[in-house]
Amino acid sequence: MKVKAIWHVIEYDFTNFFRYRWFIAGLIAMNLADLFISAIVFTQMTTIVDYFRFFAPGLAVVGLFASAFMIGREINMEVRREIHHYLLSLPMTRNELAIGRVLAGGLRGMLYMTPLLITNFIFLRLPTLPQLSLILLALFLLAIGISGVSISIAVSTNSFEKFVTARGVVYYLLFFCSSVFYPLSVIQILNTSGLGPLVTFAQINPLTNGSDLIRSFLLDSPEYVFSPLMLLNVAVFSAVFALLGTYAYAKILQRH
Amino acid sequence: MVERDLRMFLQYKFLLIMRGIWFVAQITLFGLVVNTMVQTAATEVGINYFQYYVAGVTIITLYSTAMFIGYDIFEEAEHGVFEYLLTLPVSRRELVLGRSIGGGLRSFVYVGPLLLVVLLILGVSNPFYLLVALASMFLFAFGVSGMSITIAVAMKSGDKYDILIGVLDALIVRLSTTMYPTLYMQRAMPAYAAIANFNPLTYASDLFRWGTGVEGALQFNPLVAVLALFIFFFSFTFVGVVFYERRLEGGSWE
Repeated sequence: MKVKAIWHVIEYDFTNFFRYRWFIAGLIAMNLADLFISAIVFTQMTTIVDYFRFFAPGLAVVGLFASAFMIGREINMEVRREIHHYLLSLPMTRNELAIGRVLAGGLRGMLYMTPLLITNFIFLRLPTLPQLSLILLALFLLAIGISGVSISIAVSTNSFEKFVTARGVVYYLLFFCSSVFYPLSVIQILNTSGLGPLVTFAQINPLTNGSDLIRSFLLDSPEYVFSPLMLLNVAVFSAVFALLGTYAYAKILQRH
Repeated sequence: MVERDLRMFLQYKFLLIMRGIWFVAQITLFGLVVNTMVQTAATEVGINYFQYYVAGVTIITLYSTAMFIGYDIFEEAEHGVFEYLLTLPVSRRELVLGRSIGGGLRSFVYVGPLLLVVLLILGVSNPFYLLVALASMFLFAFGVSGMSITIAVAMKSGDKYDILIGVLDALIVRLSTTMYPTLYMQRAMPAYAAIANFNPLTYASDLFRWGTGVEGALQFNPLVAVLALFIFFFSFTFVGVVFYERRLEGGSWE
């Protein structure tokens, strides 16, 4: 496996990323609307938490998810416009191409998420260097996993509409069933409605672990304490979906 | 055109099922959990937040389904179906009016079964009010569909359209009373409440809540709300017609 070939693919995807300046601007607008409209209004409505402070770390995960998912959007477009034939003809193995794309998706997610994370540091507090390293490691693993999910969906759907809808469903299931928007302690209420499995899903959801990991370092609250299991959870998600994304891209793409 | 758009829509079984899951996820997850978080606020304004949210999410679903016609236009442009449509023995005006009505109608067909579930949850206190609310929602859906066509044809680029719709969606939904009452928007930032007063989603969701009896009193006089939705429908349907007619030919779709 040649690292140089993988590097070329990452470079190609980064060039494309900056071509979508308006898309990135759109994403930022959406994220800021979440923080500066919805979060501020909900802060007025709830007494359980200071919602603005609670949601800010979740926002970094929302941004990471949306931008890491963008790689799938591009791959879906390449499949529909048959650009993938050109990519498959390049002097590199299918696996190098696929690994490059999964990694590029994750790295682009990290790049996009950086301003949102800085917003967190400004409004909440600055982490120590080891804490910052752990936050970045967890978010990078999360981004790689999300990139894998996105690529798997992109090569399995044959129209943009289907991709957009599948993206919406994955988004809603993963986000609504996590502690990104509300504390895990509040989600427990679903147990009383006979929705216990969703509570379990929320507990093992990598988005819950990712956002709670940031909260454990940035919110001075005894409710959020860092546990190595959080990192392990995100690492397992990342490994499974990065492999799935690589496999799907390398195998399914040849059939189109 | 209306029949064709409806038939095409019903072919998207995958999409319809996925969007159904999306709707259920919003109600059962977000609605139930947030309901617990905002109990005090809900008591203060005298609402059951879960019911309030269910009504709001119905309008959000109606809005996002009606917006989907724009994606269809790009699919057609990409596959060359557009040129075929232009050769049909119908005028450009009939073509776009048909599409606008088809877009609104199919979103209603889609929301129909979900609406039944919602009505089971919310109940109906006054059938006449409900009929008025449903008629207004029709106008709202046609208006949104016209708006989607206008934006799609003005952009002529699937990517730009997707971005703009995302931003518009973020702002139009959040700056409306679909998710929270005006009182809290006013407390958070008076400008938010002021913008919400001109938002068609505010009128549609408030009318639906009034129609189902979730809210005893409307923020606006029902007549004002109906009139606002009519103006929205009229503007976008006819702006859509003019845009579609002018920009239909000449290719340059991205």
